[in-house]
Amino acid sequence: MLTIPAHAAERQQPKLGYMLTAISNPTPAPDFTLEDMDAKKFSLKDYRGKVILLNFWATWCPPCRREIPSMERLNQNFKGKDFVVFAVNQMEDIDQVFTYTGGLEVYPTFTFLFDRDSNVSRAYGVQGLPTTYLIDKKGNIRFRAIGGREFDHPEVEKQILQLMQE
Amino acid sequence: MPTTTIKLHLLKIICLCLPCTQIHAAELNIYKSNESGLLTWSSKDNGFSIELIQLNPDFVRAVYSRHGLPPDEVERIAGYCVFGSIIQNTSQQQLSYRVSDWRYVDKNGKSYPVKTKAQWLEEWRNAGITFAWTLLPESGDFGIGDWQQGFTTIQIDRNKKFDFIYTWTLDGKKYQGKIENMSCAPASLSTDPATP
Repeated sequence: MLTIPAHAAERQQPKLGYMLTAISNPTPAPDFTLEDMDAKKFSLKDYRGKVILLNFWATWCPPCRREIPSMERLNQNFKGKDFVVFAVNQMEDIDQVFTYTGGLEVYPTFTFLFDRDSNVSRAYGVQGLPTTYLIDKKGNIRFRAIGGREFDHPEVEKQILQLMQE
Repeated sequence: MPTTTIKLHLLKIICLCLPCTQIHAAELNIYKSNESGLLTWSSKDNGFSIELIQLNPDFVRAVYSRHGLPPDEVERIAGYCVFGSIIQNTSQQQLSYRVSDWRYVDKNGKSYPVKTKAQWLEEWRNAGITFAWTLLPESGDFGIGDWQQGFTTIQIDRNKKFDFIYTWTLDGKKYQGKIENMSCAPASLSTDPATP
């Protein structure tokens, strides 16, 4: 993904959809340990038993920025349930993310993690940003989305609920 | 509306699935920014849409300087004809593409491959650069609603026109699209505004 110049911004970016691609042969999500904004370590394996929305993003990526508010709404809609959102930033630092999140209307309550050398995104085979995976309670990748989405769309929430009920 | 739209209809999309050869009508729109004069080509057909946005060299320099590339590498990529590209699966089926199959053809009819992200990354790795984003991924398998953005780089004299040929596969059939008479962003926006 890239930064789009001002003249392109004059035109509309593609509308954010809601379809996630089901993975026909679910594979185990590669484990990782990354730090959040407060240098607290998070390991994926510690979240077995929860459905995880794992999003790879960067502040300079326009569709990443566009979908983050919907990730926050989704996170709020599933508050207190077995669901967690991790937004894994690519090759940026805390200041860049902090500056970006500070400008949002609603400050995200989900966790930002820092993949400073893109090792985790490589392990997931991420080709471009944003790319998002939905991981089931057993730690398998079940759905994928390439490009921005409206994650609080009822269809996405339905898929998350189904995974939670498995 | 801040942009001017020029609407064309092309009969340039050909199904490459042998033995049949199908001709499809692609819709091509060209937008010109009233502010910068820069052009955007947008084509949609057979479940695939592509948008190519002229990027001026200073913009490219700014992007890669911000990402920490050394000055000589920044200048090298700014010397290419760079487009912001947005590609999208607009179908209800699986779609795939490979940038290594894409070509551009100069006015002498000579065809050249589009430089892929993998080729750039290999060169960057040799120069000690680990940054791996911003370029259009070299291939993709798109589910319904998937889309992607990234830079597409073409090595051609900035003042020369060319035809851009791209392919994608939908439901097992390979399709080809062609955008004619494309041009690079001018070296300087203030002295040489682009015209369609």
